Amino acid sequence: MRSAAWRISFWASLAFTCGTILVFIFLDRFVANDIQRRSDAWLSGEVEVLGDVAAHTPHDALYSRVVGEVAELASREVPNRDTETPPASETAENDSVFFLQTDQNGSVKLWVGQGDGRPQLAAIKARQLAFIHPASIRIVGSSIPFRVASIALSDGSRVYLGLSERDELRVLRKLRVRFFLLWLSLVLMGSAIVFFTSRRMLLHVRQISEAASRIGQEDLKTRVPVPAANDEIAQLAHTLNHMLDRIESTVEQLHTITGSLAHDLRSPLTAIRGKLETSLAGMRDQKQLESLASAVEELDRLTNFLNTSLDVAEAKANALRLKPVAMDLDALLHTMYALYEPSLSEKGITAVLQSAGSLELVCDEGLIHRMVANLFDNELTHLKPQGRATFSLQRRGNTAHLTVQDDGAGFDEETLVHLFNGRVKGRKSHGHGLGLAFVHAVVRAHHGTVDATNAPGGGIHIEISLPLVPEVSATANPAPTA
Amino acid sequence: MRLLLVEDERDIQIFLEQALTEAGYQVDVAVDGRRAEELAALQPYDILIVDLGLPDQDGMTLITRLHQIGVDAPVLILSARRSVDDRVRGLEQGGDDYLTKPFALAELLARLRNLIKRNAPPGGENTRLRVQDLELDLLRREATRAGHVLQLTQQEFVLLEYLCRNAGRVVTRSMILDQVWGIRIQPDTNVVDVHIYRLRGKVDTAGLQPLIRTLRGVGYVLKDR
Repeated sequence: MRSAAWRISFWASLAFTCGTILVFIFLDRFVANDIQRRSDAWLSGEVEVLGDVAAHTPHDALYSRVVGEVAELASREVPNRDTETPPASETAENDSVFFLQTDQNGSVKLWVGQGDGRPQLAAIKARQLAFIHPASIRIVGSSIPFRVASIALSDGSRVYLGLSERDELRVLRKLRVRFFLLWLSLVLMGSAIVFFTSRRMLLHVRQISEAASRIGQEDLKTRVPVPAANDEIAQLAHTLNHMLDRIESTVEQLHTITGSLAHDLRSPLTAIRGKLETSLAGMRDQKQLESLASAVEELDRLTNFLNTSLDVAEAKANALRLKPVAMDLDALLHTMYALYEPSLSEKGITAVLQSAGSLELVCDEGLIHRMVANLFDNELTHLKPQGRATFSLQRRGNTAHLTVQDDGAGFDEETLVHLFNGRVKGRKSHGHGLGLAFVHAVVRAHHGTVDATNAPGGGIHIEISLPLVPEVSATANPAPTA
Repeated sequence: MRLLLVEDERDIQIFLEQALTEAGYQVDVAVDGRRAEELAALQPYDILIVDLGLPDQDGMTLITRLHQIGVDAPVLILSARRSVDDRVRGLEQGGDDYLTKPFALAELLARLRNLIKRNAPPGGENTRLRVQDLELDLLRREATRAGHVLQLTQQEFVLLEYLCRNAGRVVTRSMILDQVWGIRIQPDTNVVDVHIYRLRGKVDTAGLQPLIRTLRGVGYVLKDR
């Protein structure tokens, strides 16, 4: 049997995974925004200061130097954390920050940073930046975007301050790696926990169902194990056990009733039969002998009816006690055929037996004998002369299929509906109408099925399926594949 | 043959005692378990008939106790329950037998004979059976009546053999079904009768004294004299 623990833990893990992914995406966005907000605040402040400096520094020969120095100083505030070029030497240029001043014509007036500032200017112009709020730009020849803030000066020139997003991206990347590892371990741990807990719980369920299925007809005393914890599973076990208590007492009651009924009826029947039989032995008068003999025969029929009724009642309550042994159904059919054939042909009925050969079956021999005899009896009593009855036996997989078909009048509608209920018989039929109810009861007790219909061309069609080995437990069933 | 009948139902007791006595048994009757133990302690019996439902104790308990005090005669158990429980089946394997109520007297007598025979030392098996002018050769599977070979099917031969082995004694339809066909059923129909009629048609031909007799309500008998 496949455990449902896999399915449960799969869906639980899937839900958990999706949930944590959402949480982490939200966290990631939050952190990224926060980092950007901080760097933007710095950029905005700094570009104002630089704009101020650029505006108030006199435009002389020293202008470039003064503004350049201030820009340099500002750029030093940003640590150059590029691992490949550690900021060991003061002279190393900080490539994460640039300062750009453009004149009225939009050409480079002053540049502080790596290179000559032309690609940066081109990128800025491409986006037509005229803003106070910082924005991201991509510079040709650099993989990392820059965050740029700008301010316009009164003389028509503009000051741009750019900050590489490299550090920001690195922090985010590290964060994402950590997030991912954390998420992975959470998911793995979560699914493992879900799997093992559900398996543990389902194991209890399984133990209960295994125990419950072992509790068959022979053994109603056993109870399912009750887990120590006082949870739903324990409750299920308790409920099952209560149910079993009730079933056991009901079945016991039925056995007592049928037992005492049998006893109360059988003793007088025995006495009557015995007396009749002893009188019969000394009888010489032919007329009296006839009536006594028919009394004995009636008595035997009554006994037979009593036995069959009790069997049907017990089988309906699933209380029929089976004594399973291995037997050959094919051989039995041949014996029955040999037994019934003379009677059938005497009546003008043609009986045909079709069997592919030996078919061994584990069943209650006595009950199966009587069941097959009932099928033959049914044909013998109901089929009109010149009729034809076919009995066929074949094996399909682990099931024996016994089919009875004839070309008689078939069942009437009313009979067909209540066929297996017992006490119902066709209007013109003889017997006590228990025959097919008994067949059904025996087949049911062996976990088989009976299907009785009228054949399209007229006549009855009874199909009996019997498992070769009656199932001992329901767990032998393969779990339905979803 | 001394027989101890343990049965509390007065009516059953009376007719059984009568029928068993007629069949040649010396019958002692006990109405309960205590009396049965007393009788069994007094003298040895060849065979016992014990009803399972006794007023003072369970029939099975009585049998166990009788075995304990050294009674080793075979027991025929009478039971009102048709589904025979495991303890009785255990006994059956131990050489005893059971019969469900109601039963045919003929079957009771046959089972008693079987139980006694089972306990007796095995004698030599005859290969020929002879009843009046009917002769069966069991090796060649051939039957002759007054010197003429009878054309019997295999099934008919087995049926005739069973009747011959029980010649002079009544056999019931269910005994025939059990012994000849090996099936334990109680048919409401005349299946066995048709076989007997056919056999009779071959055995009791015109001009010969009829051997196979039908006893209505009881069964059949092959006359041995």
